[in-house]
Amino acid sequence: MIVTENLDIAYDQTLIVKQLNVEIPPHKITALVGANGSGKSTILKTMARLMKPKSGHVLLDGKAIHRLKTKEVAKQLAILPQNPTAPEGMTVIDLVTYGRFPHQRGFGSLTQKDKEVILWAIEATGMEEFAYRPVDQLSGGQRQRAWIAMALAQETPILFLDEPTTFLDMAHQLEVLNLLEELHEKEQRTIVMVVHDLNHASRYAHHMIAIKKGTVVKAGTPMEVMQPDIIEEVFGIQCDIIQDPRTGLPLCLPYAISRSQKEPVIV
Amino acid sequence: MNGVERRKNLQRFSILATFSVLILIVFVISMNTGFSRLSPLEVFQTLFGMGNEKQQLILFEFRLPRIVISLLAGAGLAVSGCIMQGISRNALADPSILGISHGAGLMVVLYLSFFPTHLDVPVLFLPVLAFIGSLLAAALVFGLSYQKYEGLLPTRLVLTGVAVAAGLSALMTVLSLRLSRELYQFVAVWLAGSIWGTTWDYVLALLPWIVVLFAFVYYKALVLDVLSFGNNVATGLGASVSKEQVKLLAAAAGLAAACVSVSGGIGFIGLIGPHLARRLIGPNHKYLLPASALAGALLLLTADTIGRTILQPSEIHAGIVVAIIGAPYFLYLLARSNH
Ligand SMILES: Nc1ncnc2c1ncn2[C@@H]1O[C@H](COP(=O)(O)OP(=O)(O)OP(=O)(O)O)[C@@H](O)[C@H]1O
Ligand SMILES: [Mg+2]
Repeated sequence: MIVTENLDIAYDQTLIVKQLNVEIPPHKITALVGANGSGKSTILKTMARLMKPKSGHVLLDGKAIHRLKTKEVAKQLAILPQNPTAPEGMTVIDLVTYGRFPHQRGFGSLTQKDKEVILWAIEATGMEEFAYRPVDQLSGGQRQRAWIAMALAQETPILFLDEPTTFLDMAHQLEVLNLLEELHEKEQRTIVMVVHDLNHASRYAHHMIAIKKGTVVKAGTPMEVMQPDIIEEVFGIQCDIIQDPRTGLPLCLPYAISRSQKEPVIV
Repeated sequence: MNGVERRKNLQRFSILATFSVLILIVFVISMNTGFSRLSPLEVFQTLFGMGNEKQQLILFEFRLPRIVISLLAGAGLAVSGCIMQGISRNALADPSILGISHGAGLMVVLYLSFFPTHLDVPVLFLPVLAFIGSLLAAALVFGLSYQKYEGLLPTRLVLTGVAVAAGLSALMTVLSLRLSRELYQFVAVWLAGSIWGTTWDYVLALLPWIVVLFAFVYYKALVLDVLSFGNNVATGLGASVSKEQVKLLAAAAGLAAACVSVSGGIGFIGLIGPHLARRLIGPNHKYLLPASALAGALLLLTADTIGRTILQPSEIHAGIVVAIIGAPYFLYLLARSNH
């Protein structure tokens, strides 16, 4: 269970996130949505202790995450940051192997269990045929899947992913999302992901948090968050919300940019 | 799967073996070159205890210590560079970024400008002074680039290092203008990277640093791998990024300082050695560290041997030979990194 208490987050002196209080429901999939630059990645990184907040706390099971031993946290929580880069020449299988780092000591020889998890993560992301290819020579989508495999290899009950579906084609987007859903269903993992596609958020997440300029506009079920007025406030677009005939979940069909969001017209 | 792993290990092993064989070849050549020539046969005979007194003196008291120093200093500088490149994620980083050789040089010049008549000091006095100077410079660079919230940011480290090195070097130039001609000559030779410590005393002074710090760094190979993913991924994987960075940079500074204080200001080895090794053996530090050490040792011994041979009976300092090879390589790296 992760809770934030009055988080203020800043880069140098500019305050990006003000007085943030969110709860990540355990054993559920949570989607963070918001416009570019609204602070989603900043919030995700701070909740995963990659950044220190200016003030306030992030509590993991009631304890301040920034005070816990980072290696112990890494056994609980894996995070895939936005746009990670691997050293030149590192192969996919090596990359995924480093996902076992929190479970290793010293020189890090691999146990049978480690090897099984690594193979499973590579298979689950469909990366078998690229296992021995250098990561820097893969396509954007293949690379993204390699990094997801690394996060999976960490085998943590909590999984944070910053835009796991960017660079992926439609089939691979669904594949990754289905995989996350399966991890949630089979192993009750807690998953927090930043996604830009609201319909993916609605279809896969149980809980949505809509962020604007570093503050929460609305948090709740997709039904509660996917409202035309909320979406207009968060994204500055006008949309119709219809019901997905297959799942009954809300779907967002944008039709216009709100007037205030448009570039000012100079005559 | 296992087949691929096995083939890769074989490949890595052959790269390390090739380096070792090359070092052995240059070692033999180096044993043979110098003011008084010995034939390869005589060298072998002497090495196995069957030479006359003069041959023994030349080999064991003059050539061997110098060769061993070159090997150790080359390896040390390259491993130091390997750490710097891993942590800063920048293929152009090397120990000079920590202001190591400038700190050492400045300290020696400072001493000589205040005690200009005291060149007759105990053998290890100047190296110790140089060592202290380099560590002070490295500490200054750390101090200036460490930030409260974000810890050590590689880009800031690189920029601070360049600025500090420029400042120290300017100060050194000003001070050395006031030195007598002889002393100036001495400093200039030192800065050019002549392997100046050429007795077993220097070997004994350098060896413990190399052994202890190599062992420590090798123990941290996996941590270095993880740090080379950058601060975010490394923290996510559970590495205590700031702490590990400081420890490893201290080790890098210690290694480079120890080497520079006996070998003089030799640049580029810390840049080229690890870079060459990385291209051949890949980014995994378990193999990259030993490969860097071997590449550095090979490069410096070769440079020193060439320097001693090419203009006999006078010699070119190893640092200059390294720079003649190193500068174009550096430009090539720069050109490549622009893509
Ligand atoms: N390293 C940094 N230094 C200074 N400002 C930063 C830094 N990283 C992000 N910012 C600023 O913080 C704000 C929030 O950025 P963040 O990356 O959290 O946005 P985001 O919601 O993830 O956007 P996107 O959808 O584009 O990924 C932006 O205004 C950005 O310019
Ligand atoms: Mg982002």
